[in-house]
Amino acid sequence: MYIWKCWRDTRWFFLVFVAIAASVMPFAAFANKGGPAIRSFGAMALAETFATIVAAAAYAMGTITAIQEFTDKTAHFLFTKPRSRAYFVWASWIVGFGELMIIASVNLLSGWCVLAHYGGSPLEDFPLHPINAQSYVGPLIYAIFAYALTYSFTILFRNGLKGLGASLGVMAGFVGIADALDMRWHIQLPRPPGQIGGLPLAASNVIWIIVALLLIYGAALALERAEI
Amino acid sequence: MNPLAIRTDNLSKVYRDVHAVRDVDLHVPRGAIYGFLGRNGAGKTTTIKMLLGLARPTSGFARVLEMDTRTQRIAIFQRTAFVSERKTLYPFLSPSDLVRFSRGFYPTWSDIAVEKYSRLLEIPMKRRFESLSNGNQTKVLLLLALSQGADLLILDEPTTALDPVTADEFLRVLAGDAMERGCTVFFSSHQLEEVERIAEYVGVMDRGKLLMESRLDDIKSEFRLIIATGNSLPMETSSRVLSVASDGCYCKYFVTRDAEDFAAELTRDGATVTQTASLSLREIFLHLVRKEPPCTSGNAGAIPAGSSSFS
Repeated sequence: MYIWKCWRDTRWFFLVFVAIAASVMPFAAFANKGGPAIRSFGAMALAETFATIVAAAAYAMGTITAIQEFTDKTAHFLFTKPRSRAYFVWASWIVGFGELMIIASVNLLSGWCVLAHYGGSPLEDFPLHPINAQSYVGPLIYAIFAYALTYSFTILFRNGLKGLGASLGVMAGFVGIADALDMRWHIQLPRPPGQIGGLPLAASNVIWIIVALLLIYGAALALERAEI
Repeated sequence: MNPLAIRTDNLSKVYRDVHAVRDVDLHVPRGAIYGFLGRNGAGKTTTIKMLLGLARPTSGFARVLEMDTRTQRIAIFQRTAFVSERKTLYPFLSPSDLVRFSRGFYPTWSDIAVEKYSRLLEIPMKRRFESLSNGNQTKVLLLLALSQGADLLILDEPTTALDPVTADEFLRVLAGDAMERGCTVFFSSHQLEEVERIAEYVGVMDRGKLLMESRLDDIKSEFRLIIATGNSLPMETSSRVLSVASDGCYCKYFVTRDAEDFAAELTRDGATVTQTASLSLREIFLHLVRKEPPCTSGNAGAIPAGSSSFS
């Protein structure tokens, strides 16, 4: 039932994102009069819109799924139910995660249909083509990481704006620091969704996901000990 | 002796420099209806939060249904229903949705109770929570608590926003059902008449301290207002004289126990006792927590917690 309630909390937001994810590539193709432009730039455009949409959805979803109990002032009601607080944290996180994956899938599917329709040979530019796979997996890993980070901060601060701000700040700040270290001392910090040290890309991706899950675990632990 | 549904030992809570609760020893017998009284900011809600594990005690400990609130929170919630002073729920869900939502958490949930209380309290079950009046929102929370089949009801100002008719009906049901099911009710309230009507036990808090805890009948039979006239009447407070107020040639003594003995002592010392009156809970409460009428040094500790009824 709690999962149903989380879905009720986020469904309009989710549906709006699904609508955007589904329509952006058809609209781009329509605006560019289809065929030639799609053949030249279709796969690149899809990768770009995919990265933008999943990142935006991740930050927003991280805030919205985490903050409901605190904005509605219902924490005292929920957290006196006979379940651990960690249960509620993971349940709402999973709902948001599922929605994020659906948004990403809809965007990919819609883009693939457009490429297939206008491109003639969809497999040439198909998003799952081995050469281009990381163009889609990378943004997805970034989105999962950003979603987890935003969700965790929102839980910790019990405030959506602060959670979102802290998450954006950390992501941007980390990139800035990593760039500075790289330029000044040639120290290369791993940054999501990049490769970690000499590890293969797939292993790095798995590690980023594990770090994201650890962030949620930390948030659940903090909430379990928090005063309501 | 009944086992205790709630027991706290030296329970204290400090928020930075504010001592919200100080060394509170509560004893709520099983099956009892316990009225928890106090002014705004007295520490009632903080105490309730500590009982439910929503706040951590700075020192001391609490046991609810013989379980430790720090380590057995979930087991306590399985058998405890709680209505917060904040009467808020998910705004977009209807009472029916909220029943569906809550039902899954409790094996002891009763749909018969839902039916009964929703009809009794006249709750519009299909409207969104946010569109209900304050009174109806409160009723929904009470409905959910009452339908849970809990062994212990903890209600923080449950009748706030209820109209007199509904409040009356609710109290009648609460008292009747609690007695029928052997359920313990621990409720805070500012409505002293309500407490007087249904509570068997009363605890009074002020400025974080438990001033008094006793059986209501004992309190009402012990506390007396004695009015005496005469020369050189005693003006000192003591363990049994909570306050003394001089009014012209009269003195009013607010006595917490042994009123007959005290009246006899006054007579023996040459005073004339003109009246010995029993007091309502409202009068007792006001005397206990009111700060300072002239010639009064109203101090805490009228009846040390647990002195008479629980030992």
